[in-house]
Amino acid sequence: MSSTAEKKNKYRVADLAVLLVLASLVVLYGIDAYRASSDVLNLILVLPIIVMVLVLCLVQFVIELRDDRAEAPPRESVADVAPVIGLFAVYVLTLQWLGFDIGTMLFVAAFLWLQGERRWHWLIGYSISLSFGLALFFSTMLPYPMPMLILQTAY
Amino acid sequence: MIDWTSLFAAFDLLFSSIDPWLVVVPGILIGLLFGAIPGLQISMAMAIFLPMTLYMDFMQAMLFLTAIFTGGTFGGSIPAVLMNIPGTSSAIATAFDGYPMSKKGQHNTALGIALGASCIGVLAGYGILFLLIGPISTMVLKIGPAEMAAVILWGITLIGSLSSGSVLKGIISGLIGLLIGTIGFSEAGVLRGTMGSVYLIDGVPAIPAMIGMFAASELFRLVKTKYLVEDSAARKVSARAIFDGFLKAFSYPWILARGSLIGVFVGAVPGVGSSVANLLSYIATKNRDPDPDSFGKGNPAGVVASEAANSTSEAGSMATLLALGIPGGGATAVMLAAFAMHNITGGPQFIREQTDVVYAIIFANFGQAFLLIALGLMFIPILANVVKVPMTYLVPTVLAMAVFGAFGLTGDLSGPVTVLVFSVVGWLFKRFDYSVPAAVIGILLGGMAEDSIIYSYQISGGQWSYVLERPITLVILMLLLLSLFGSKLLGLLTRRASS
Repeated sequence: MSSTAEKKNKYRVADLAVLLVLASLVVLYGIDAYRASSDVLNLILVLPIIVMVLVLCLVQFVIELRDDRAEAPPRESVADVAPVIGLFAVYVLTLQWLGFDIGTMLFVAAFLWLQGERRWHWLIGYSISLSFGLALFFSTMLPYPMPMLILQTAY
Repeated sequence: MIDWTSLFAAFDLLFSSIDPWLVVVPGILIGLLFGAIPGLQISMAMAIFLPMTLYMDFMQAMLFLTAIFTGGTFGGSIPAVLMNIPGTSSAIATAFDGYPMSKKGQHNTALGIALGASCIGVLAGYGILFLLIGPISTMVLKIGPAEMAAVILWGITLIGSLSSGSVLKGIISGLIGLLIGTIGFSEAGVLRGTMGSVYLIDGVPAIPAMIGMFAASELFRLVKTKYLVEDSAARKVSARAIFDGFLKAFSYPWILARGSLIGVFVGAVPGVGSSVANLLSYIATKNRDPDPDSFGKGNPAGVVASEAANSTSEAGSMATLLALGIPGGGATAVMLAAFAMHNITGGPQFIREQTDVVYAIIFANFGQAFLLIALGLMFIPILANVVKVPMTYLVPTVLAMAVFGAFGLTGDLSGPVTVLVFSVVGWLFKRFDYSVPAAVIGILLGGMAEDSIIYSYQISGGQWSYVLERPITLVILMLLLLSLFGSKLLGLLTRRASS
């Protein structure tokens, strides 16, 4: 099998898998809503939409199965994006402990380093000035305290 | 009908002293800043500065708040054009063609067009409001929950069918968005889809979800790009090109007129108006264009259509506030609070007894539109320099701003976590050709759609024939069907006629 055909098949399997995941999530939500209450007021919008989504997913599934595209659609490499998503996830999920000041500084510095920035004065200078600038601006503007490690707020 | 005595009294209120105007320039600048920073909202700006209006008289307070509103409505288009991040939900359609224009190096023109269309929109919107405040308020009174539900479903269907890939996938995205919008404590008093998380009791935070799906997911895709505009020669910021773009907006008079009418009338629908008006105007323009395929790839007409409608929808929502005392969204809700702080109640009595004040507010907005031109032309060249920032620096900066902004919206870490979750969802949607705008509109309006259908069910006593007694609902539902099947039906009829 040629590499193009292989890629096309891989993409088709991925497309079908996405449809299945979407349909499954929708069904799970429907079950959860029904368990919460089978009252008509609770299901008046949710149920018809779930049925519509499932019907449309089925139609789309058949279309994708029959699809005979000459070329696979262009998609960016997961290997390029995955580290960035991972880094962003670590940043957001550690904010509670690292605070917005230090958490942002580490995220920006790590991102710059990951993208090939090796000029230390830029890397450190930019991450510190951006993180502390944003932290000061938002903590002043917002009417509630923010989690911080160094900058003092009443969080 | 125009009340001439009140008209002259309004001029007297506005121009007998410079005091009311002193707050307009700071108001527009605050609005521009809050609109242009992803995550900060116009309503947030107005809420933050609301206490300051205690020290102003009512006229000055209204001028200050409407100036923030006007500046913010345009400000939301700046990140939409430069970074594909609609600063507000009413700037979603601006990103459709504004961002592709930026990527082609036409960022100066796109920003100028957005400014021109916005200013014309404000002028046209308040002009229509001045002439038709009575009929608009009568129309709004006729809009019940059934009509609101129909408008929401129409909006979702339209945006789903706009999808550049599969229409079916676009509609699936919109419907899934609607379902996400219903997560949490329902109108029926039950908890659904929260997976035991207390943060989801009030539902998925819609604006952080929007930031995640639009902004963060797009930034992930741009990681390997060196600059937002690839061509270094096209990366320059030119005040001249911005001004030319501003003038170019005037070369689309029909699109401006149509967008303004859609903006005022759809914008007057409480809660739904501004989010849907820009989409309706965009779709109407795309469908009537001789080259509809050029939309979504950087057609200036798309920016004009969206901006004309979203800036005019401000006047529509003001009509509802002034004539009925009903706030159509967050921004007008803050204005209602300002009304209360000055012991004034909006509604038919207010319009009847204080017509001069209503006229003064309308005329002040004409003045604000001209000030917005001057301030916009001064500040856009500064903001447009974003295209010169390498993506290595721009991506973490915008991601960090999105996280700060999301925290600002929710007041706890559920905002940043929502941005994270929906950035991944948005990236997957884009990767597999599902429509991100349709899903976002669904999330924004899901809860309201459910409430509207429940109220309709309760009013009708469960009789579906109730819909047949609502002519506006029927018209909207027919438009919905036409937008889905109209072109196919026309094609079929044309083929039959020709054969």
